[in-house]
Formats: sequence, structure tokens, C-alpha cells
Amino acid sequence: MIEYLGFALLGIGMGTFTGLIPGVHVNNIAPILVGLTAGSILSTLQAISLIVAMMLTHTFLDFIPSTFLGVPDRDTALSVLPAHKLVLEGRGYEVIKLTALGSLGALLFSAALVGPMTPFIGTAYESLNPRMHWLLIGIVSVMFYLEKKWKRMFSAAGLFLLSGLLGLLVLDTNIGSGDGALMPLLGGLFGMSVLVVGVDNDNDLPDQEISDSPVNVRSNVKSIFTGASAGFITGVIPGVGPAQGTVLTQAATESGGTKDFLVGVSGVNTAKALLSFVALYAIGRPRSGAAVAVDEIMKVGLQELIFLMGIALFVGGIAAMLHLRIGKIAACHIKRLPYKAMCFAVMASIVGFSFYYAGFWGLLILATATSVGLLPPSLGVKRTHCMGCLMLPVILYFSGLEGTVLGLMGF
Amino acid sequence: MTKLSLLCSLTGIALIYVGAAQMRPGLTPISQIDNDYVGLKTVISGRVIDLSVHPEGHVFLKVKDESGGVISVPLFSGTRSELGERIELLDNIQVSGQVKNYQGEMELLPEDVGSIQVVHSAPIELSQIDETRLGNEVKIRGFVGEKFSVGDNSIILSVRRGDGELKVFLPGDVVESDNFPEFFEGDKIQAAGTIKSYEGELELEIGSSYSFEVLEAPK
Repeated sequence: MIEYLGFALLGIGMGTFTGLIPGVHVNNIAPILVGLTAGSILSTLQAISLIVAMMLTHTFLDFIPSTFLGVPDRDTALSVLPAHKLVLEGRGYEVIKLTALGSLGALLFSAALVGPMTPFIGTAYESLNPRMHWLLIGIVSVMFYLEKKWKRMFSAAGLFLLSGLLGLLVLDTNIGSGDGALMPLLGGLFGMSVLVVGVDNDNDLPDQEISDSPVNVRSNVKSIFTGASAGFITGVIPGVGPAQGTVLTQAATESGGTKDFLVGVSGVNTAKALLSFVALYAIGRPRSGAAVAVDEIMKVGLQELIFLMGIALFVGGIAAMLHLRIGKIAACHIKRLPYKAMCFAVMASIVGFSFYYAGFWGLLILATATSVGLLPPSLGVKRTHCMGCLMLPVILYFSGLEGTVLGLMGF
Repeated sequence: MTKLSLLCSLTGIALIYVGAAQMRPGLTPISQIDNDYVGLKTVISGRVIDLSVHPEGHVFLKVKDESGGVISVPLFSGTRSELGERIELLDNIQVSGQVKNYQGEMELLPEDVGSIQVVHSAPIELSQIDETRLGNEVKIRGFVGEKFSVGDNSIILSVRRGDGELKVFLPGDVVESDNFPEFFEGDKIQAAGTIKSYEGELELEIGSSYSFEVLEAPK
């Protein structure tokens, strides 16, 4: 027992590393742990403890670099990400507190819901599976509709198709060696394109207000519940990202605002990570790279699921404290740090990892994805439409048209 | 800014398209497929040398080609029902899909039903079966003669066609599986399995209920 908690603590350390270094993801490390298990260096439960702890911690800590790096100028504040908007107002630490609450709250909510909901997940998935493409098309249509104006709706549709075409070429052909191409694709669309804009900012960020007053839990319960619910949805439906899940559930529950979004999206991120392990038990399919690794190590039955949940809850509390502690240090010192150099270092790491995972073609994919990722702010639409890079291939797969479309494209 | 980004995006996509077109997968010898192929789209062609059926309807094939390599090809129940035709032991099959390493074993996951092409192998005449085929997989077709049960619910039956006759051994686990067909004396059946020798007599041992099919029943 103590042994597994020890490995969970080690996993927290590794998750802190992957969360704080943009470009490094649990999915890249989990296969190594599978190899160590196959080589009898780690026992099954030791490896599971490590993977679950690493994954959960990552979902807390990865908000720190995404909050403080790549913040654009005030002039473009209208089209920036919600976290960057608060950093520009000197409320970066508030983002950290909100995301800690969102992640931990949604972890507890979703853990409580796993028991009563699991029997229905399998049934719901089986009935949804043949109609998954229609469900995804519905989600995409609502995302377009939420742009409100016709011109922006068309821009969003164009951006979705452009990202989708890129995703189809990268993920469904041999150019990117399968999953290795995900790094330059997502790194370009959601990382590099944000940093390229932010690097122009000559660190004129305002002083960040550090207040230790706790976030009001009661006023955020709705957003936490929204995050946990969206985590369930995105944990089972493939191709839907946390931001889309949050926006959709906010629209459905008529909640909104930057703070609600941050609590919600962090909740989705963590709840989705937990649900990806639950999906192994409920529908027998992995829904994340870490879940793929767990699936390769063992078959998840009820006992294993309870063990996974125990590790996840043990990790959640510690990860939240770490997130607050490291986030506070980042908020205190962001003005004194060589901001531009840090942005360049992160960009260099994304370039390096893209080359490592997908070679020369990885660099081309990264450059193209970055160009596509620069379009949302200039078109004035949400960046989440770039999730077309995953959603379009998934829609085509479930509709049975993937082969036909690739055939028409000459593959 | 928008125009420049769009121009870069389209140029990049065009270059990626050209690169992807050059990397279109050709037929790969199975013996060459190793961990370096994991994640890549690959096309293989070979003969089904083993198959097993999962209770939920999935069929797991083992395909061997002229290079001597063997790879697993899982056909999940949805794909299998969409395929519309049976894949039997010794059939020739061409599959394109993504290479995976599942628990240390290489497998090729078909992209969709359209990525599987099957050429059924013809059954051999019963009279051609002799000692030289011991240990080989063969497919036969004929009419059920006598049949009787032996221990553990196994069945032994004789199959006749023309001048030839061969004993077929159906082990208990095959007979007891859910999808094993009911059959009677006089039915025309097709079966595929391994030629073995039992007490000096050749017999065909069936490894899976999927390899035993009733083609016609007398009216």
C-alpha cells in the first residue's frame, strides 16, 4: 500500500515536470513505463500508480505555463485567451486559484459520479456509437452558431475545414508516423501560434496581485459541475476538446464569463483525464494516451477501477497544493523573469520535440499548423474551431467515409 | 495578417499533401514489419493460417505471407458484420491499416471494411489428402456421413465426397461455442483445419467454430 503511494508521489513529480514544460506530455512518457512493466522492472500496480498520478498532476500544472507564457499585448486583448486576459489585468494568481478549484472540484464531483454513472456510460456509448458522427456534427454546428454573426460563423467553418484537412493529411497518412505527428499538429495550432503573438510583448505585464484570500467555492459550484459534466462527455466522445466541452455546457446551462470558463475548462481537463481511465472499464476503449498505456498493462475490472480512483483522489489534493504553490511563485516573479527568452525557449522546445517525434515533416507540419493557428485572432473567432484537426478525421471515421475521402484525395 | 497566415497555411498543406502522396503505402512483406512500423499505414497480403472467434463476435486472424512473417489482424464485430462475407481459414486476404503493437505482438488494424479484400481459397478433393499433408492446414467440402460423440462433448464425423472420405474431429470447446452450427447426417459442409494423425488414421481437426460451416441441408 505504502509502496503504491510512494510511486504515486513519484508520478506527481513526473507530472509536475510534464505539466510545466510545454511540449512534454504524459503520453510521451507513458509508453516508456509500459516498456519497464514489460521488462518486469515495474510491477503492474506500480506502473499504474505512476501513470495515473502523472496524468492527473499534469492536468493541474499545465495551466501555469499556458497562463503566464504567450500573453499578447493589451491592444489585442479582445481576442486573447481568457487566462491571458486576467494576466493582463494583474490577476494571474487568481487564474491559478480558479483552475486549482476547477480541477480539484471536478475531480471530486466526477469521482462521486463515477459509481452511479458507470453502468450507464457503456449503454450510452453503445447507442451513441453508430450515430457518433451526427453527434459530433451537431457539436460542431453549435460551436459555429455560438459565434453569433454570419461572417464569423463562415470564418469558423472555414477554419474548422482547414484544420480538418490538415489533421486528415497529418494523422491519416504516413507523413507523420501516426501519433508522433500529434505533437507538431497540436503544438502549432494551440502552442506556437499563441507564443508567436506573445513573444512580441516586451514583458510589460502588470504586477500580479497576490491575494491569499480563498476563492468562493459556493459561487463556483455551478462551473465545477459544468466542468465535471463536460469531462464525462468529452471523456467518452472522441475528438472533443476541453474548451469545446466547456463552451457547450456553459451554453446549455446559460452560465458564462471568464472566471466561469476557467473553472469549467480546468475541471473538464481533470475530469476528462479521470474519465479516460473509467472508459477503460465502462466501454473497454482508451480515451487518452495514458489510458492506452494502462490498457496495455492490464485489463481494468472493478477492483482495478477502485484502485485507479483511489490513486487519483490521493494525487488530486497534493497536485492542487503544488499548483497553487508553483503558480504563486510564477505570478510573483513573472515580471523579473526574462520573459522573451522564456517564450523563445518554449518555442525552441516545441520545434525540437516536433523534429524528434516526426522528423523533417514534423517541422513542416508545425509551421503549417502555426499558420493556421494564427488565423483565429485575426478572423475574430474562437481558437477551439482548430479542433477540426481531430474532429473532422473522427467524423469521417465514424461515418465510414474516411476511406472514400482519402481515396478521392489520391491516397 | 489574415491573408499571410492563410497563404502560409495553404502552401504548407499543399507541401504536406505532396509529401503524403509520396509516402503512400505499398505492399509490405510481413516479416519486415517491426516496431519501426508502429503507427504507420501499411498494406499486407497473405493467407489466413489461424483464426479465433471472440464471444462478442470479434474475429482474430493470423496472416502469413511468402516472406514467412506472421501478423495478427483483428476484425471487430462491427467491421465483420459490415464485411458481409466470411473470412475462412486459408483464404487469401489483403488488408490495409495501421500497425499496432498490442502486448508485444504486432497487429494490423484494418482502417475500415473497404480496406479488406478477400479471395476465398478452393477446398481440396478429399482423395488428395494423404500423409504428405500431415500438419498442414486444409479446407474441405463434402457431405456428413456418420457422426458420433466422444468424451468432453467432442464430435467425430466422417465427410464424404466422390471417392474420398475423411474423418473430421470437432473438439468439445468448438462444439460448445455459441455460434457453432447445428448439423445432421447428409448436410453439405465446409471445414478448414489441420491434418493430424490419430491412431494411424488421418483426420481433420477443427480449431474454431468459425471454420465449420453448413452449406446445404437436404430437403
